[in-house]
Amino acid sequence: MTPPSEWVHHVWHLGLLRGASLLVPARQRAEWWREWSAELWHVRQACAPAGTASWAGEREVTAFCLGAFQDAFCLRRHGFRAGIAFAAWQGSAAHCVVFLAAALTASCALAHLLPGVRAELTLPHQSIRRDLVAIQNADFFDRSSATILPAQYHAWKEQEQPYFDGFAFYRVTRESIVPESAPAATPVRTAWGVAHASANVFALLGLPVLLAVAPGDSDGNLPRLVLSDVVWKREFGADPHIAGTVVRMGERRAVIAGVAPDGSWGLPGQVGAWLLQPDADFASGEPGFAIAHLTAAGKAEMWAQCVRITAYGPHQSVDDLLGVALEERAPSPWTIYLFAAFLALLALPAITSVSLGEYSISEQRTTWSRKLYSWSFLSAKIALLLPIFYFVSLDLAYGRTTSEPESGLYIQLVSCFFMVLFGMRWALRDQRQRCPVCLRCVEHPAQVGQASRTFLAWNGTELMCMDGHTLLHVPGIPTSWFSTQRWLYLDTSWEFLFVGPGAGMEPGTFTGFSPH
Amino acid sequence: MATEAKLSHTAAIILQAVDAGFVYGFSIMEMTGLPSGTVYPAMRRLERDDLIRSQWERQSIADAEQRPPRKYYRLTPAGRMTLQASRRRYPLLERLIPSEEVKSV
Repeated sequence: MTPPSEWVHHVWHLGLLRGASLLVPARQRAEWWREWSAELWHVRQACAPAGTASWAGEREVTAFCLGAFQDAFCLRRHGFRAGIAFAAWQGSAAHCVVFLAAALTASCALAHLLPGVRAELTLPHQSIRRDLVAIQNADFFDRSSATILPAQYHAWKEQEQPYFDGFAFYRVTRESIVPESAPAATPVRTAWGVAHASANVFALLGLPVLLAVAPGDSDGNLPRLVLSDVVWKREFGADPHIAGTVVRMGERRAVIAGVAPDGSWGLPGQVGAWLLQPDADFASGEPGFAIAHLTAAGKAEMWAQCVRITAYGPHQSVDDLLGVALEERAPSPWTIYLFAAFLALLALPAITSVSLGEYSISEQRTTWSRKLYSWSFLSAKIALLLPIFYFVSLDLAYGRTTSEPESGLYIQLVSCFFMVLFGMRWALRDQRQRCPVCLRCVEHPAQVGQASRTFLAWNGTELMCMDGHTLLHVPGIPTSWFSTQRWLYLDTSWEFLFVGPGAGMEPGTFTGFSPH
Repeated sequence: MATEAKLSHTAAIILQAVDAGFVYGFSIMEMTGLPSGTVYPAMRRLERDDLIRSQWERQSIADAEQRPPRKYYRLTPAGRMTLQASRRRYPLLERLIPSEEVKSV
């Protein structure tokens, strides 16, 4: 009588085969099932005969059935004519280039779809007027701290300045922005960062304002409010006729004067709207940020994008200040990318060999045309990889529009560095694993020799070009006589190197043939 | 470059096993020690490249022995030529799996 466990195992094994058969193309499935189920019967007879409950035997049968999945995948890949063509294409240089080109297209498309990245690309910080500096107290190292008192700002404006011809001031508070027409019982809205800024801040920075309404067209008694793109979309549903609408910010009323393009603000503070006020409104209160435009004399004083300023304060106090160029405060994504890529290329030799490993065992050398082909392929790979890294780093850094501009900068720097570093490492390692003749990836790694015999004989890995051009020998442990990988070109002279059996060759010493 | 098709080690050993009389999947597994996930896909590729050909055993024979019929594999002329080339490249091939002729000596 058959023990119940045998039935369970048999059903389990048949279930595995049936599951694998679903992966096989439909037209080959019946034949495949017939062969595997017949083989299973024989495997069961050999490993777990009826009436003998053996866990070891059942494990062997299970291992046999699991192999059916690999066979099914193989048939799926190679079953169709197109599949065969694809298999031949896989691993080729064209396959690699097309894959990278597709990745570049995808990353570029994603960068242009993400609003934050699009804003960063279409309206970068370069649009800010040149020769602007952000002034801060020289004693503060944190550039995102508000350090300038309104009284200081007024004192500078009132004095004649040889180095500056324009000043603006702003400080950020958190307030909700509610349309005046909204009912009083409206639930509490999100509190946004509102920059209480000098009326000339946009003119000084040279930033555009979209949907702008002329000052005469709105209530002249109310302060003007410029919305950020995020607030305009979230709070006002991207209403194109928003300009001129009166809003409430706590107890204060303001009229919307326009919308600032997304990503245009590259200065400290996460700002959702700018309330443009007369300078008299900043007579006292919390410190903020000051921006100034340099004269020609002021530009001459700049050194390394910074200028030291000694200014007289409101009570004839001497303030030690630092002016930092806005270009320096908000470097463009391209500048960050170039810097990160430069650092990564400097670090590259620390993690991989920069050699292409084109050493040959025999005297045969690749022709100049093949070398040119190989170098062209490497150049194409790098030329495709670098823009991929640029766009992916933009996606990572600026994909979230709510993140601070400073955090985006650091995310881009770090992600660029690691992507370029490991991407270039991959490009070089991939190149070293490609047949110098056809640039296909070599396959079927076979372990040759024994590590314990390193000092007596060669040991390492042997890989073969599936087009039959070359064999690649990679030493397991680099030695003085075999320190780097070497190529064996499989031409007629190669056949001459191998002698027939029984000619005195030590088993397994050269052919790399290992049954296990 | 040599004109013969060049085989991986695994494919060469399977071809040698088929030539040596191990003509169905499980027997090749037993002989070579290779797992089923290696042997069967390799045989698919060999058959696709026209180096081996498969044929189902007659139902009457299987019925007589009260077992399911088996799918047998044999070398094609192209497979035989490729095996010869592989033996020159891998001299240990015949030592590991002696062919029928060698075994009978």
